[in-house]
Amino acid sequence: MTNPYQQHQHSSSSFAAGDALASGGLPPLHSLRRPSYASVLSGNTSPIARPDRSGISHILNPSPDSEQQASARNPQSTAQSHRFEPTMPYTHMGVSGEDVSALNQAMNVGSPWPPRLGSSFPYFSRAFDLYMRKETLLPADHAGLEDVRIPSTTPVPNVTDTGFLSPSYLRGSNYLQKLEEQHRARLLAERDSKHPKGAPPAVISVRPSSNGTSSHMPVVGAKASGATHRGVAYDVVEKPLSPAEDDDEVSPLPSRWSREDKEDALEVLADGYEVRHTGRTAGDHEASAVRADHSISPACGVYYFEITVLNTRIDKLKTPPIAIGFASKSASISRAPGWETDSWGYHGDDGNSFASQNVGKPYAEMFGVGDTVGCLINFRLNHALFTKNGRDLGIAFKDIPFKDVKGKLYPVVGLKKKEDHIMTNFGQRPFMFDIDGYMKRQQAMIEDDIRRADTSRLEPGLSETDLIQQLVLQFLQHDGYVETARAFAEELHTEKLALRLDPREQVRDVSVRDDEDARNRQRIRRAVLEGDMDHAMKHTNACYPTVLRDNEQVYFRLRCRKFIEMIRREAELNTLLEEERRGAARKQQQQQQRGEGESGDEEMVEAAAAVENGNGFGEDMDMTMAEDVNGNNGNGNGASVTDAAAGLTKLSQEALEYGMELRAEFSTDPRRETAKQLDEIFSLIAYPNPMKVKEVRHLVDGSGRVAVAEELNSAILMSLGKSSRAALESVYSQTCVLLEDLRQDGGDGAFVTVDSVIAGIPPASVR
Amino acid sequence: MSNWSAALELGGLDIDSAFRDTVFAQLRESFGRMNSSMSTATPLQHAFEKRVADVKAPKSDINALILDYLTMEGYPKAAAKFCKEANLQPQQPDLSIQARQDIQHAIHSGNIETAISALNGLDPELLDNDPELHFSLLRLQLVELIRQCNEGDITPALDFATKKLAPRAATNRDFLNDLEKTMALIIFPHDQLQPELAALLSSDLRRTTATKVNEAVLLRQNQRREAAIRQLVRMRAWAETSARSKKKDLPESIELGLNADDMEFGESGHEPMITT
Repeated sequence: MTNPYQQHQHSSSSFAAGDALASGGLPPLHSLRRPSYASVLSGNTSPIARPDRSGISHILNPSPDSEQQASARNPQSTAQSHRFEPTMPYTHMGVSGEDVSALNQAMNVGSPWPPRLGSSFPYFSRAFDLYMRKETLLPADHAGLEDVRIPSTTPVPNVTDTGFLSPSYLRGSNYLQKLEEQHRARLLAERDSKHPKGAPPAVISVRPSSNGTSSHMPVVGAKASGATHRGVAYDVVEKPLSPAEDDDEVSPLPSRWSREDKEDALEVLADGYEVRHTGRTAGDHEASAVRADHSISPACGVYYFEITVLNTRIDKLKTPPIAIGFASKSASISRAPGWETDSWGYHGDDGNSFASQNVGKPYAEMFGVGDTVGCLINFRLNHALFTKNGRDLGIAFKDIPFKDVKGKLYPVVGLKKKEDHIMTNFGQRPFMFDIDGYMKRQQAMIEDDIRRADTSRLEPGLSETDLIQQLVLQFLQHDGYVETARAFAEELHTEKLALRLDPREQVRDVSVRDDEDARNRQRIRRAVLEGDMDHAMKHTNACYPTVLRDNEQVYFRLRCRKFIEMIRREAELNTLLEEERRGAARKQQQQQQRGEGESGDEEMVEAAAAVENGNGFGEDMDMTMAEDVNGNNGNGNGASVTDAAAGLTKLSQEALEYGMELRAEFSTDPRRETAKQLDEIFSLIAYPNPMKVKEVRHLVDGSGRVAVAEELNSAILMSLGKSSRAALESVYSQTCVLLEDLRQDGGDGAFVTVDSVIAGIPPASVR
Repeated sequence: MSNWSAALELGGLDIDSAFRDTVFAQLRESFGRMNSSMSTATPLQHAFEKRVADVKAPKSDINALILDYLTMEGYPKAAAKFCKEANLQPQQPDLSIQARQDIQHAIHSGNIETAISALNGLDPELLDNDPELHFSLLRLQLVELIRQCNEGDITPALDFATKKLAPRAATNRDFLNDLEKTMALIIFPHDQLQPELAALLSSDLRRTTATKVNEAVLLRQNQRREAAIRQLVRMRAWAETSARSKKKDLPESIELGLNADDMEFGESGHEPMITT
C-alpha cells in the first residue's frame, strides 16, 4: 500500500484573500466574454507584481539554481519566445475583436498545427504568453493596440469568437458537428431573445420582414447553397430550444475546470484553464481534485487533454505530487485521480498509474515543473494512455470499456501542495502531442476496413462494379434523367461488347425503358430548370392533374419561384440596360474627345448621372425610388435602351401585380412559414439587382430551381405510387443511420462520416 | 391495419391465438409490402426503416456522386448529358474523360498494344514510374496472345514472353510467379484449367487491369484513385456488417430497393426496366 502523496505541513497562507475571492466567487463560465485576462493582468494578483510567488517571474528571472534546471529541459527565455512568435500569433491580447474573429476563422479552416517543430522545445511556452504578451508577442502592426485590453474575446486559436470550442482532432467528426449545431441554435435563441421579432436586421434597412432568413428550398445542414447569409444556415435548427426535452442533445466538450466541483483548497484561475493549490486545507485531505465543467462524451471516439505544470515555488521537489486523469462524479474530490472507484490517474511524483485503487503500478517516468502531460481516452479500443511533452508513454489502462462506466467521466487533476499550479489545454490551443496524427491513424484503420468490405451481399449476384452501374442507372431513370440514362446505357453496352471474349457471344442490349412518365417528368424538370414555371405547372397539370392539388407546398413553391424568376429577369434586363447606357456614355465621351459634339454634353452628363444612379442604388433605397429610376429611363439614349427600359418598367409592373396576386392567394394560409417566405421574396423588389447583393443572392440564384425541380419530381413520383427515393438515395440514408448506431458509444462510427465521402468529390457547382 | 385487427377481434370468431398470430403476420406482411413501395411510415415499419426515412439524402450530394462516378470511371457521353440535364458544371473536360475511356476500351477489347501507346501519349512517365502496372499490362497482353493462338502457333506468345516479360520477371519475385502461371496457360488445354489459371482467361482480368490503369492515371491527375460512390457503397456494406456484429437492432434484411420500381411494372405487364 503506497500513498504517493506525502503528508505535507502547510505554512500559513500568504496570498491575498482578494485573489481567492476574485476567482472563487464568480459564477461558472459558459462564455468566453469574461474579462478575466484583463483582470488578471491589471489586478494586484499579477504574478509580475509579486515575484515572490510567481512561477512566471521565477522562470523569467530564474535563480541560478533553477535556471540550470529550466534551461536543461527547455531553454525558456523571453528572447526565445520571440523566436516562436510567428507560430503563435493568436495567443496574445490587444487584438481587436474583429481581428480575432478573422483569425479564429482562419484557424478553423486552416490545417492542424504541425505536430512538432523538430526540437524538444515544448509548446507550453505559450502557458506564459499570458504574462509576457505585453512586451513580446505583439506583431508590429498591432503595436499601437497593445494597451487596448479588450476583454470581449479570448484570443485562442480553436475557440470561435462566439465561444465555440473546436479542437483540431475532432474537426469533421459528427460529434463536433452536432455540438456546433447546438451552439448555433443557442446563439440563435439568444439573438432572438435580444431582438424581438419584427425588428429589421441591421444589414439592410429596406427589408420589410424581420429576420427573413428561411430559405425557399430545403436546407440541409450548413451545406445549403447561399449559406453566406447567416440566417440561412442557422434557420435550419428552428425548433423550440429546451435542451432537457431534446434527446439528441450532445454533451458539450469539457472546456474549463469547474469552480464548484472542486476541493476547497483549489482555486480555478485564468478563465478556468488554470488550477492552483491555495494551501488552505480544512482537514486531513489526501489530495485536492477538480473536475472539468462537462463530462467526456464517448461519442467523440477519442478524447484528449493536456496539462502543464507551472509550479513556481522554489522547491526541492521537481516532481510535485500532481496527478492527471479522469473520473466519474462518484469519485471523491478529496482524493487524487486513480485512487477511487471509477477513477483513473497518472501521478507525477512516482510515475505510477492508478486504476481505481490505492495501489499504483509502475507506468512511466515522473513528471514535474515545466512538463506537459496529456491524457487520452480511446473509447473505441477501450484503453487510455498518457503523454509527456508530446511523447506517447504507452497504454496505461487497457481493456476497460470506459463507455460503459456508470456515470460519465470527467477530466480530473489532483494537486496536493500549496502553490501546486497547472494550466490546461482542453483543445483550445494546439496540443504538444500530435493528437491529429493519432486521430488520423484511427481513421485510417477504419477506412482500411471499409476499403476491404465485402459488397457482394448488398444485392446478391451483383459484383461491386455491376451493383454500382445498376445504382447509377436506376437513379438516372428514377429521377427522370432520360438522356443521361440512355447515354449511360449505351456506354455500358459498348463496354460489355468489348469485354466479351467470344465474338459470337450475344450481348443483350442494356435497354432503357421508354417510359412515358420519365419523359414527362424530364420535360417538367427542364421547364423548371430553365426558369419557366408557367410551363412546368401547365405540364404538370396536364400529365398529373392531382399532383399540384394534393401537394400544396409544392404548388406554393412553384408559384413563389415564378415570382423570383420575374425578379430575376428584371435584374438581368437591368444589368443589360446599365451596360448599354455605359456604352452610350462612352461613345459620347469619345465623340466629345473628337470635339464633334458640343451638344452631346448635356446628354452625356445626364447619361452619366443615370449610370451613377443605377450603380449607387443604395441598400437603403426604398421601393418607390426604385420605381422612379425605372421610370426615369426614357431620356433618349438610343432606341434599344428605350425599348429595354420600357420592357423593364413593364416587367416590374407585372412582377408587382403577380406579387399582389400571390399574396392575395396565400394570405389566408395560417402557416407561419408561408407568410415568412412571402415576406422574404417580396423583399427582393427593393433591390435593383438582387443578384449582386450578397444577402439575397441565394434567393434568386439557380440552385433554387434545382430544389423546386426535385421537390416537384418527388411529388409526381409519390403520386404514381413509386418510391420517392432511388436505391442510391436509400444507400446514402441507410449508411447515415448505420453509422449513427456505430458511433453512439464512441465506436468505429465516431471516426467516419458520409459527409467525408462527399467532401472528397471535387465541387461541381450549379450554374 | 387497426381496422383489420379490430374487425378480427370484434368478429366474435373463436380462433385460437396461434392461428390469429398467423393471420396477423400475413396481414402485416402484405401491408408491409404495399406500404414499403409507397415509402410512407407505418407503425409496422422497423424503427430502423423509420430513421432511414427521416434522413434525406441531399440531391446535390447524390448528383455530385453520380457526376463523379461518370467522370472518374470514364463515361464521357453520360457525364456530358448529366451536366446538361442536372444543370451541373463538368468535373473534368470531356476530352480528358474520353482519353481515359479510350484506354479502358482498348484494354477491355484486348488491344493492349493500343492501350499502352495511348497511355504513353497521355502520360509518358506513368508506366516508367510504375513497373508493376506496366508488368500487369504486358502480362495481360501475353494472355491475349495465348488466347489467340489457342491450339495453334504458340511462337508469338513465346517470343513476347521471352522478350518483354522475362527481363522484368527477373527483377521481381511476384512478377516471376505471375509469368510462370501465365506460361502454364500455353501448356494446358484451356478447358481443363485449375480455377486459378482459368481466371486469367476470363474477362475479369481485362476489367481489373483496365481499372488499375484508370486509377493510376487519375491518381496522377488529381490525387483521387476512385469514384466516391465506391467508398459509399463499401461504407454501407461495412457499416451493416459492423452493426450486426455489435448486435444493433436492425431488420432482418435492409433492402436497397434496386428493384422496387420494377416490381409494380412486372405485375402490370411492362417490360423490366433493365435487361442485361
